[in-house]
Amino acid sequence: MSSKIRTKAELKTSSTAEYFAKNLQQVGFSSPTKAVLTTLKEAFDNSIDACEEHGILPSIHIVVERTGKGSTKNTDQVLVRVEDNGPGIPAKELPMVFGEYLASSKFGRGRCTRGQQGIGISAATTWAMQTSAQGVLVKTKTKGQKKAVQCRVEIDLKNNKGIIRDKEELDWNAPHGTIVEFLFDGRVQLNGEAGLQAFLRSNVLVNPHLELHYKLLDEEEVHIERVSDKIPNIPDATSPHPHTMKLGEFLGHAKLFGNISVKEWLLKAFSRVSEQVMQDLVANQAVPKKLFERPVNDLKEDEFKHLFTSIQEAPLMAPSTTSVLAIGEAGLAKSILRLGDIDYFSVVTRRPAICDFKPIQVEVAIARLSSRNGESIPHEEDESVQVIRFANRVPLQFDKASCAIFKAITTVNWKVYGLKQARNSVPSGPYIVAVSVVSPFIKFKNASKETIDASDELVEEIRRALMQAGQRLSRHLRKEHKEALLESKMQHIEQFAPILVDGLVRLTHSDDKRKATAHEGLLKILGRDTQAAEKELMEAEGRLEKHLASKRKTLGAAYDLIMARENDSLEDEALDEDLDLDEEDDDDASPKAKSKGKGKGKGKSKAQKKGQNKKGSIPEDHVIVSDLPAAKGLAKKGKSAPLKVEKAAAQDKPAKGGKAGKAAPVAPIEKAKGKPKAAVKSKDKGKGKGKDKAKKPATGTKAAPATPVKASAATAKSKPAKKSSAKATQAPVKKPAQAVKKEPAKAKAAKKTSKKTKGKK
Amino acid sequence: MNMRGKVLQHDIPELTAELCERLLRDLEKARRPVIEATKCSLDNAIYDHKVGFLTPGKKKIRTELNVASVKKMSRAIFMLEILLRNIETGAVNTKRELYYISKGEVKHNKHLKPIDFVEQEESDAIIDFICEILECYREELNCYANDRGGQTYSQQLVVTESLSDGGRAVIDLSALGTSPFQPKNRPQNLALSAKKKIDYCLIVESEGTANTLVANGFTKRHNCILVGAQGVPSNAVRGWLKRIQDQLQVPLYFFGDLDAYTMQNIYRTLKAGSAASLIRNSNYSAPEVRFLGVLPEDIARYDLNDYPVRESDAQEYRALKKAKDALENDPFFRDKRNKGLSDILKWLLEHKRRCEQQALFTVNPRDPTMPEKIIVEKIKAGNYV
Repeated sequence: MSSKIRTKAELKTSSTAEYFAKNLQQVGFSSPTKAVLTTLKEAFDNSIDACEEHGILPSIHIVVERTGKGSTKNTDQVLVRVEDNGPGIPAKELPMVFGEYLASSKFGRGRCTRGQQGIGISAATTWAMQTSAQGVLVKTKTKGQKKAVQCRVEIDLKNNKGIIRDKEELDWNAPHGTIVEFLFDGRVQLNGEAGLQAFLRSNVLVNPHLELHYKLLDEEEVHIERVSDKIPNIPDATSPHPHTMKLGEFLGHAKLFGNISVKEWLLKAFSRVSEQVMQDLVANQAVPKKLFERPVNDLKEDEFKHLFTSIQEAPLMAPSTTSVLAIGEAGLAKSILRLGDIDYFSVVTRRPAICDFKPIQVEVAIARLSSRNGESIPHEEDESVQVIRFANRVPLQFDKASCAIFKAITTVNWKVYGLKQARNSVPSGPYIVAVSVVSPFIKFKNASKETIDASDELVEEIRRALMQAGQRLSRHLRKEHKEALLESKMQHIEQFAPILVDGLVRLTHSDDKRKATAHEGLLKILGRDTQAAEKELMEAEGRLEKHLASKRKTLGAAYDLIMARENDSLEDEALDEDLDLDEEDDDDASPKAKSKGKGKGKGKSKAQKKGQNKKGSIPEDHVIVSDLPAAKGLAKKGKSAPLKVEKAAAQDKPAKGGKAGKAAPVAPIEKAKGKPKAAVKSKDKGKGKGKDKAKKPATGTKAAPATPVKASAATAKSKPAKKSSAKATQAPVKKPAQAVKKEPAKAKAAKKTSKKTKGKK
Repeated sequence: MNMRGKVLQHDIPELTAELCERLLRDLEKARRPVIEATKCSLDNAIYDHKVGFLTPGKKKIRTELNVASVKKMSRAIFMLEILLRNIETGAVNTKRELYYISKGEVKHNKHLKPIDFVEQEESDAIIDFICEILECYREELNCYANDRGGQTYSQQLVVTESLSDGGRAVIDLSALGTSPFQPKNRPQNLALSAKKKIDYCLIVESEGTANTLVANGFTKRHNCILVGAQGVPSNAVRGWLKRIQDQLQVPLYFFGDLDAYTMQNIYRTLKAGSAASLIRNSNYSAPEVRFLGVLPEDIARYDLNDYPVRESDAQEYRALKKAKDALENDPFFRDKRNKGLSDILKWLLEHKRRCEQQALFTVNPRDPTMPEKIIVEKIKAGNYV
C-alpha cells in the first residue's frame, strides 16, 4: 500500500473527490458485481506494486466473504480483505493513500507500474463509505516498527482529504505488511470471464514471483506457490524521446531544466538525442548552428516550434526500451503451467515500439492445453480460445469487444495458422492466447482501466505479434501433422508388405526362407529403420524448435535487431512460414552467430543451435556470465573434450552436424551451469573466426561474483542440456565462480543431475 | 525383360513368373524393385506412314516400390494371381466380375483386408496397371469387355472362329438374314474367307445408318462387307477391321460425320490406333482404311445440310479445341502423307461447322437409296482421302 506514497513533495492533490464520488461508474463501480472485483483489484494491485517496488517477493492473502444483506436492493454485504507482506505504510501517509484522490507516488513517472493515477483505492473507499457508511480498515506495519497501526480511513469528500478514525496500535507478528479490509454492498461473481477466479488466475499467470492464498466465499482456500524467486526489476523511467512528444509537452519540458544551453538541454532532457543528431539537424533541417549555444529560456516560440518540427523530421534511434517491462517468456511459461498441462507453448516478444507517441511493448503467448483439471482435452475442441488480456501486467476483464487486444485477435486470419475461426471472431481450440501490452503510458478507454483504446497503430502492433505467434504455431502444427502422417505410413507398410511378399512367393513357388528374407528386405527398403531415423530426426527438430523459442528471451539486444529486420519486411511474413529450418534458425540466432553461420554453412549453424538450445529457458538475469579470460581458456581446453551434446547433434543429422561435433568446445562452459552467453561466446572463440568476432563476445561479459552455485543444472530443462552438464562436470577444467539462483520448479531436475555428477566423481 | 511387340496369351504365365521372380530377388537383396511400363501418351507416340499406326517411343513410366506404391503393387500381385488362375483354367471374366471375385477372396482371408477394393474403379485401375506392366491386352488376361459396335453384314464373308476348347465355329454371314455378325473379345481368333470376291469394306460410323443401308439392300447390290462402327471403335471393332484388312486384302472406306470428333477420335483410332493404346495399336488398327466422307467439298457438291458448331455442343467444342493441338503435336496429323486429313481438320477449325453422315438423306428425300448411290459413286470416283 505504501507505494502510493514516496515523499510528500511528489503527491499531487486536487479537489476531485466529489466528482469521483458522483461518478464511481467511471472508475469501475458501475454495478455491485463490478464493485467487488474492482475493490479487490485495486487493493491487490497496490499490494503487488508496493512489494515489487521495495524488492519484496509478494505473498498475498485474500478473503472475500458475504457477511450479510446489503443496504441497497439485491446486494449482499461483502467483505474483501487483502493482506500483503509489503513494506507497510507510514501512519501519517494513510489518509493520503486511501482518502485522497489523485494522490499517487506513481503518477506520470513513466514507469510500468500497475497503478498510475491514484484513483482506484480511494474510489474503493468511497464506494464502501457510500454503501455501508464506513471507510476502509487498514492495519499496517513498516519495517522496524514494533507495533502495527490499525485505523479506519474515510474521505472528506468536500476537501478531498483523508480522515483517520479509531487509530490504535496493535501487536502483529509479521515484520512488515499491510491488511486492508473493505465492507461494502456488492455481489460476488466467482466464475466467468468477469469473475474473481479469472482475475486471480490471470494474475497468477503473469506473476510467477507471486505467492497467493485466497478464500472466496465458501470455496476451499486456494494456495498458489511462487515459481520464481525473481522480483521483476521495474525499470526506471528514461528521459522522454522527442518523437513521443507533442509541441506543448516539448515547450513545457524546456522549463524544467533551468537556464542551460539548448545543446545541453537536448542532451540532458531527452533520450536518443546526441551531438551527431544535432549536427544532422544543422545539415539537413536548416537549424542554425548558433541556436544550440543559446540559453533555452531565450528561445522564442517560433524557434521552439522550428526546432521541434526539425527533430520530428530527423531520423532518431527508436526510444529506449529500458522503460518497458515485459513479463518475459520464462515468467509466462512458468505461470501458464499453473493453469493446466500444456503440450505447446510459445511466446513472441515484440521489440518495443512507438504507438501513438508512446513506447509500448507487446508480448503474445500461445499455449495449447492438453488437460484441464486432470481431464485431457482433444485438439479439435470447438470452444473459443481463452483470451487473456494484460495491460502493465494487470488482467483486463471487462468490455473485451472494444479492446485493442481483442480487435487485433479477431482481425488476424488464424485459419492460415491451422486454427479454426469463424469470420471476425476469436479462433477456437483448446488454446490460451495471452496478450500483454506494457507501456509507461497505456491509453485506457476509461479511468477504470478495463479496456485498452483500440488505436490503429496499437492494433497493428498487436496483430504483428499475434501473427508471429501464429506462424510459430502453424510450424508446430505442421510438424505434428507430419509426424502423424509418418505414423500412418508405417502402418501402411505393415499392412501391405506381407501381402505383397506372400503373393510374390506364391507366384514364384518359393520357399519360406525366401519369403523371410524378402520380407526383411522389403521392410528395410520401406520401413522401420529409415523411417525410424526420419522420425527421430523430426522429433529432434521438434525439440529444437521448442528450445529455440525459449532462447529468444536470452538474445536481448540482438533479438531486437532481428525483429527490426523482420519489421522491415513485414509483407514477407507469410513467406517466413515457408522458410526452411535453417533459415528459421537464422532468425533466432544472434547477429554474430548469424554472420558466422552464413559464412560456414549448415553444419555450423546446427552446432550453434544446439549450443544455444542448452540455454533452455534461463532468464537472462539469472545468469552471470563468466569473464572473458576464463572463457578463453575454457574454450581452448574445450577442444580436447568435445561435448557430448554436439556429438548427439551429429548423430541426429550426420550430414549436417558432423563438423560441429569436432569443433565445438562448449563443454567446459556448461560446467558453469547453463551460462548461455558464455557458451555461445566461448564457441565463437574456439572457432576463432577472425578478430572482431573474438572481440565481440568480450563486450557483453561481466566479472563473475563468487557466489556459490546452488543448483547445478537448475535451469537445464532439455535433455541435451542435462547431458551436457553431466558431461561437463567430468571435464578437467576448473569451475569458474558463477552462480545461478535455484528455482524451485527445477529443483528436481537439479537434484537428478547433481546425483549423476556425484556418482561419476 | 523386353516385352515390346506382340505378346501371346501363352506368354503371360511365363512373363508373370519372370516379373515376380525379379521382384522377389530384388526384395531379398533389399534392393528397391522398379517396374517399367511404356508411357502411353501422345508425347511418346511415333507415327511412321510405312508402319501405318502409332507406335510407342522410348519413354517409360517407372513405378518404384515405396511407401506410396506398396499398396498398388500388392494389389497388382494379388490380382495377377486371380488372372493367372483364369488363364490356366480358360475362365473369362469382365472387369466387374473380377471386382467381385477379388472381394470374395478378401472375404475369405482376413489378412487380405487392407487391399480390399472399395469401388470397381480401383480394381479396374489395377487390371490396367497389370496390362501396362506385361504390355499385353486385357483380353489376353481373359478379361473381356462387352464390346459394342462392329455389327457386320456381308453376302460373301465366311468367318471361322477357333474356340478355346479347341473346336471351331464356321459362320456364313449370308445365312444370317438381316441379323448382323458381331465380333467379340478376341478377333485374333477369327479367320476370314470370301465365298466370292469382295470389292471393299465400308465402315459406317452410325450403326443405325449401317443397318438402314443393309435393309435397303446395299449388301445385296454390292459385293462388300458393311460394318457399323458405333462411335469410338471398341477394341473388338478395331481388331476386327485389322483382321479384314490383313486377311481379305480389300480396300476399306470409312463413312461418318464431318466433324473434329469423328476425325480425331473415331477415324484416327481406326486407322492408326490411339495414344492410350500405343502398345496394342499393331493389332488394333487398320492403316489402310480411307476417309470416304463426309468431305468438306461434299457439302457443296451434294448441297448437304451443315450447321455451325455451338458452344452448347460440348463434345464437338472440345474436339475442335483439341484439333488445334493435334495439328501441332499429333504425329499422325503432322505426317505429310496425312495432309488430306489434316486439311480437313484445318477446314473444320476455320469454318467451325459440321455436317453429319445422315445429311445424305436430304439430297433426295424421296429416294431411300440415295445415300447408297452417293457412297458408291464416291468410291468409284476415288472421291475420298
